[in-house]
This record gives sequence, C-alpha cells and structure tokens, in this order.
Amino acid sequence: MEEYDTLMSLIDGMASDFLFIDGSEIDMITAGKFLNNLEGLIKEADGRKIFQLKTVAGGVSSLLEKIVLDDIDDKEAGFNILEKGIALMQEIGESFKNTRGYEGNIENFMESIAALTGARILEEPVEASWEEPQPAEAIDEIQDDSLLRDFIVEGLEYIDEIEVNLLNLEQEPENLDCVNTIFRPFHSIKGVAGFLNLERISDLAHSLENLLDRVRNKELSVSSRLIDIILDGADALKALIVELKENMEGNPGDPLKIDLTALKKQIESVESDDSDTVEVKKLGEILVEDGAITEENLEQGLEAAEKLIPPKKIGEALISEGKVTPKQVSQALRKQTKQAADTAVIRVNITKLDDLIDMVGELVITQAMIRQNSFVLSNSDRKLGRDVSRLSSIISELQRTSTSLRMVSIKQTFQRMSRLVRDLSRDAGKKVGVVTEGEDTEIDKNMVEEIYNPLVHMVRNAVDHGIDSSEERLKAGKPEKGIIRLKAFHRGGNVVIEISDDGKGLDKDGILKKAVKKKLVDSSHELSDQNIYKLIFLPGFSTAAAITDISGRGVGMDVVKQAVEKLRGKIDIDSTMNKGSTFALSFPLTMAIINGMIVRVGSERYIIPLTAIRQLLRPEKKSYNIIIGTGETINVMGNLLSLIRMYNIFGIEPDHKNPWEAIVVVVEGENNSKCLLVDEILGEEEVVIKSLGESFKNKKGISGGAILGDGNIGLILDTEGLFELSEI
Amino acid sequence: MDVDKNIKILLVDDFSTMRKVIKNLLKQSGYNNIVEAEDGVDALKVLKSEKVDFVISDWNMPNMTGIELLKAVRADSDLSGLPFLMVTAEGLKENVVVAVKAGVSNYIVKPFTAEVLNEKIKKIIEKL
Repeated sequence: MEEYDTLMSLIDGMASDFLFIDGSEIDMITAGKFLNNLEGLIKEADGRKIFQLKTVAGGVSSLLEKIVLDDIDDKEAGFNILEKGIALMQEIGESFKNTRGYEGNIENFMESIAALTGARILEEPVEASWEEPQPAEAIDEIQDDSLLRDFIVEGLEYIDEIEVNLLNLEQEPENLDCVNTIFRPFHSIKGVAGFLNLERISDLAHSLENLLDRVRNKELSVSSRLIDIILDGADALKALIVELKENMEGNPGDPLKIDLTALKKQIESVESDDSDTVEVKKLGEILVEDGAITEENLEQGLEAAEKLIPPKKIGEALISEGKVTPKQVSQALRKQTKQAADTAVIRVNITKLDDLIDMVGELVITQAMIRQNSFVLSNSDRKLGRDVSRLSSIISELQRTSTSLRMVSIKQTFQRMSRLVRDLSRDAGKKVGVVTEGEDTEIDKNMVEEIYNPLVHMVRNAVDHGIDSSEERLKAGKPEKGIIRLKAFHRGGNVVIEISDDGKGLDKDGILKKAVKKKLVDSSHELSDQNIYKLIFLPGFSTAAAITDISGRGVGMDVVKQAVEKLRGKIDIDSTMNKGSTFALSFPLTMAIINGMIVRVGSERYIIPLTAIRQLLRPEKKSYNIIIGTGETINVMGNLLSLIRMYNIFGIEPDHKNPWEAIVVVVEGENNSKCLLVDEILGEEEVVIKSLGESFKNKKGISGGAILGDGNIGLILDTEGLFELSEI
Repeated sequence: MDVDKNIKILLVDDFSTMRKVIKNLLKQSGYNNIVEAEDGVDALKVLKSEKVDFVISDWNMPNMTGIELLKAVRADSDLSGLPFLMVTAEGLKENVVVAVKAGVSNYIVKPFTAEVLNEKIKKIIEKL
C-alpha cells in the first residue's frame, strides 16, 4: 500500500543505518539523522492516526536525545532499547501496511524507556545535561599576558557597545535585535573570561547573559529597572576589567567597592513588572488558611452570600452567620492588602497620572472655595462645619498621595551623570572619580527630564573647567584623581542637587576681567564674590572661545540658569580657590503646587511663595531711611534692606504709601533680602500654579497665576524678578 | 589511530580573543594549520575559496550564527560532509538537539581544555 511508503522508508532508513553503527556508541551525525527521521515519522504517524507508532517514535526520540546529551548512565542499555525501538516501529509499520491495524503491546517498551531515563528526564536541571567545566589546571597553560591584554581591549569595547545598544533598547523595548546585540557581547565576554580563569568576570557576565536570555524568551519585559540593572552590571563588568588592566600594568587602583554578590542577586531577582501576573488570594482562602473557618464553612458562606438580596460580600455573610468574628475578617483583609502591596506594581501612562494630579489640583482649589464661601462661613450648622473640615483633610491627603505617584528616585539620573563623567574624563585625559550621595532622593518625574540637560552641562563644566590637570593637582598637593560629588537631598519644600568638584575653584579675577571685557559689567563696581560668580550666568558670557568637545557647545551657563528658573529653582555657587566649587541647584519639590502667602496691594492680590518669606512686620517710622546710592531702606533688626514699593512696580493705587502704616514683607533673594511694601496680609494658602500662557511667559516679577480659595485670581510673585525690576 | 595533525581547521568566532584562545589550545595538541573567520558569512567565503578539512565554530555570532553556518554547510553539496564541531556555552539542551538535527558532528562546551578539544576532534575524524 502506497500510503505507508514514506513511513516505511523512514523506519527502514533508520534500521539500515543502525546496522552500520559499530560498538554501542552512536555518533552525532547518525543521531541527528535519526532524530530528523523520527520527527518526520511522528508527523506521518499522527497524520495517519497510527498512535502506537507515534508513541513509540516519541519515546525513541526522547531516549536518543538523552543519549546524545550524555544524560544516560547505562549507555549499553540505552543502545539496546534503541535497537528494540527501531524493530518495534518496523513491526507496527508492517502490521499497518498489511492489516491496517496493530494488536501488539507497546507498553512494555515504553516502560523500559521510562525505567532507563526515569525521573531524570523531568527533574534534572537543564544545565546538568552539559559537560561540567574542565578543571582549571589545563587552562593555566593558556593564561598568557598577550591574551589577557587582548581580552581587556576587546572586552572594554564590547561594554561600550552594550551601553549604546541599551539606550536603543530603551527606545524600542520590543526590538529583539536590540536584545541580541546586548546579549552577544556579554556572552562572548563570559566565554573568554571562562578560559582565562577570570571567574568573577565570567560569573557576572553569565548572570547578565541569563537575564537577557529571559528577555529574549519574553519571560521578562524591558523596563527601566531592567535597563538600570543591566547598566549596573555592565559598569561592574567594566570596573572588573579595568581592575584587571590596572593590576597587569602594575599600578593597581583602589580596590573595587562593588558588592558583586549583591549585584548578582539583584540581577537574578529581576522580575517582570507586568502586574497582571500578580495573584492576590481571595479573602475566603485566607480565612481558611488562618483556620478561622473550614472549607465547608466557606462554601456555605459563599452560597449564602450570593443568595442574599442585595448580595453581601463573603466577609459580611460569614460574620452575620456567626462563623467568624469581625476581627478575624479584618485581620484577613489586612493580610490581603499587604499581600497585594508586596507584589503588585501597575504601569500607568504618565499622561493619565498628570491628568489625575491636575484634577486633584482643581479639587484642592474648589474645596478651598467652598470653605471660604460666605454661606459656609456664616453657617451655624455644626455638621456642615465638621464635614467640610473632614473633606479638606481627605483632599489634602489625596493631594499628597497623588503627588507622590509621580515621584521617582534620582538614582538613574545620577548614574547617567557618573557615566558621563567617566567618558568625559577619559576624553579630557583627566582622572576623575564620581561619588554620589542621596541617590534615593525622590523628585518629580517631569522634573527628571527638565533637569537632565542643565545637569549634563554642569557636569561637563566640572570635568572640563572644574577639575584641574594631573600635574596641577599634584603640584597643589592634591591626589591625582579628582572627585566629582553628586549629592541630592530634601531641604524644606525643596529638593537640592549639588555638583561639587575638588578642582581649582572659580577664577574670580578671570571671570571679572572677562565680564568687563565683554561689557557685561561696569568695572567701577565693587562686586562681592557671590556677585562675581553669578556673572557666569549672564547671556554672552559662555566660554565659547575654547570650544572643546566637552563644554562650550554653545550652551552657556545662562541657558542652565534659565532652565533651572523655569522650574522655579535657583543655583547657588560656592567656590574656594584650589579647593573646588559647588553648584547647588534647588527646586521646589513639586512643580504644580506651592504654599503661598496672599497679600493685598490696593485692590490686587498677589501670592508670595512661602519659602521666600523671612519675616512680616510693620516698621517704625524711624527705621525708614533713604540712603544715597541704595535708595529707600528699612532697618530690619540692624540690617538696612532696600524697600520695594509694589504699587510702583505694578502701577496700582495703594491704601497706604507710608511704610509705617502698611506692612512690610521681608523676602529672601539669592544673595540678599529686600522688603516688599503691601497693604494687607490675607492669609496663607496652597495654590495650584497656572501658567499665564506664552505671551506673559517672560514677564519679570511674575511666575504664574493661581485661582484663590475665594475664587479670585492672584498673581504669583517671582522675587528674583521683582528685585531686578526694582534695581532698574 | 592517530589523527593527521596537518588537517586544515577553520576557526569561526566573532571574538578575536576567543579565536586566539582556541588556536592556542589547538596548537598545544599539535594542530598548526589553522584559518580564521569572524562570523558565518566570513566562514562561508573561506570555505568557498579554499579546501578546509574541519570546522570549529562558535554558536552565537552576528550576521550569521553558527547554526546557520552549519545548515548552510550541510545544504551545500560540495561541503555537506565537512566535519563540524560546534563550540557553545548555551546552557540549554534544546540547542544541542537543534545542532544535532542540523547535522553537527559534535559539540563542545566552553570552557574546555586542550585534551577535551583533541578528544572531540579525534572522535569526529575517526567516524569518517
């Protein structure tokens, strides 16, 4: 019968090949042929519904795989079973060809396979199917320096490649080619390191390789956490190779501070942050586990709960039936939430989050409006009063929580900066180390992107201009290797990011000379150190004369300052000759809400950021003086501070023109404080900052607007801008 | 039976340090006639232009992987009988089975010693 021809020829092919095998060892080429034949046979048997044949062929195939993989102790027995299997397949095939059926028994044969391969098939970890790595003695033979040197060069190149490709992967997380381009170098490094007996390198590369393999197999999705960890891993790998290099060159650097075990653990424990895999136990299950109820109780309870009208939750139903105490239920509920909290992470689109935070902002405003509504204020209903204040506290909690949703740690930003320092210092031929502090400090996600470019520029400056050359450092008695310190912390309602270097410090005379030359400042002015430093922020000051690859890329410090101010932040500079400089950026924690003092000038209302206010007072008449060169001043506790008459600046008719009849708000600027003259303090309020739109974007003295609790609109004052306006 | 140490061996690996490592191991066992290629595409060019007796190839390479090279070799009537030793560190048995089905002569797992490598080569040559 023709329909069995293919099938028979496959079996017969194997049978005749089998005759040519000498000894009881099957060579790999023949094994490969057999495996392909068996695969074809299984398909063929399946198509013709000869299930006995399919089963036997499957069994033979898995046995053969084991033999090929050296996974069978008794090779002789394996070989015999293989022979029997081929004979059995021939028998089944013949029988079908002649009678379209097979009455024989295949169980015995299948059992003999199972007996031989047995549990090992299932339980042996896959790795064990491979040959054990060979003992190290022979490897030492090839441990020669030229190989090591090659490995160092090539290995470092590979890691650079990895870094670039990781950034690509972050852009296109779905692109498997990207994953492969990262996987391969790790793989190669691991391979060679294995030969060269570089155990730590090969181990680490191996973990990273496995991690990427999981990504390749879609067991893990590409998340920023994953990228972070791979970057960490690549960094550590690089450090290990550099260490190797330094040791070879005979000038070992500082011992590595990397905790490889911890890093490996981290790498191995990366989990997909797809939330849908999280399973939270049902309340009933927890109650049963706790022994509060039996399974039977649970089932009855569930039934009863469904029948009730309206249906009750299982907890309530069990309580009302007296099966559990409310305490047991609440404990179980707590366990359930905790369990969910332990495991569940949900990815949320950032625009949804922004919308949410916006809406919460609106809610805060509306709530304030209701609270200040004259009807509510004059209402004597105590319940309404209580409810309104409860509403307020819930809303402020909601506001706090929703703002925290958008907070991320600054770690990744710092890591990028560290990487940048490393690359830049190499290009500049300087030795620079990076120390980071406060990596866990959280900042608004939107801010991360906004501060990135200013930070890059400042780090560039620190490497290029801040850190002095090796010779200069040695001459000045400093260690050859410069240090750039990145530090983040919270201070008040602000987050502060400091970039310090231990370089030569800002050259005051040089800055001043240059500023005078560029006509940015009048040479007749006596300037304080702070004011000299601040000259570098002036547009047109940029050191573009010396364009290097590192700084002077057209972005001057003026752009940095603008970017920082856009975030309502400020930059402080501290510098000591030959000791180094510190640039401290401070930003309000959140970009959307500020605490403000509402003041009134004439019929207008203004909001002064609370962080800027130092003092409120009504001065005595005698503390008001006019001083030549400075103008109007108020003596505040012995300090003569300039007076800014708000009504003059904004062109309003005030209630009072005499400071001793009005109120003075002492506000702090970057380097000095000034007094703002206002008519009345209306109170303190949290306000949501609204942009005034493009046309008012660069209006000095005003940073935005806000809707006040009473529904009126107030302008938010920008004190720095006000100071500048007052100095004109 | 002693294996002819003058056989021409083609060594395929994208990592040049790795090629050097394996070359050293081969030399330790007395094999000195070695040509190199840095990936499958490169290897095929070599195989087309000169007579090679034995291929030792890495699995994981850009442009053309070891398994693709093996398949291409087996599919080419001029080369189909060429002894092919796959060097790999892939810790998965599925990979070996794939290689075996594709007609690999044998496989060897990194890292390995000169003896093991020689052993594998001998085993393959003896079966010819």
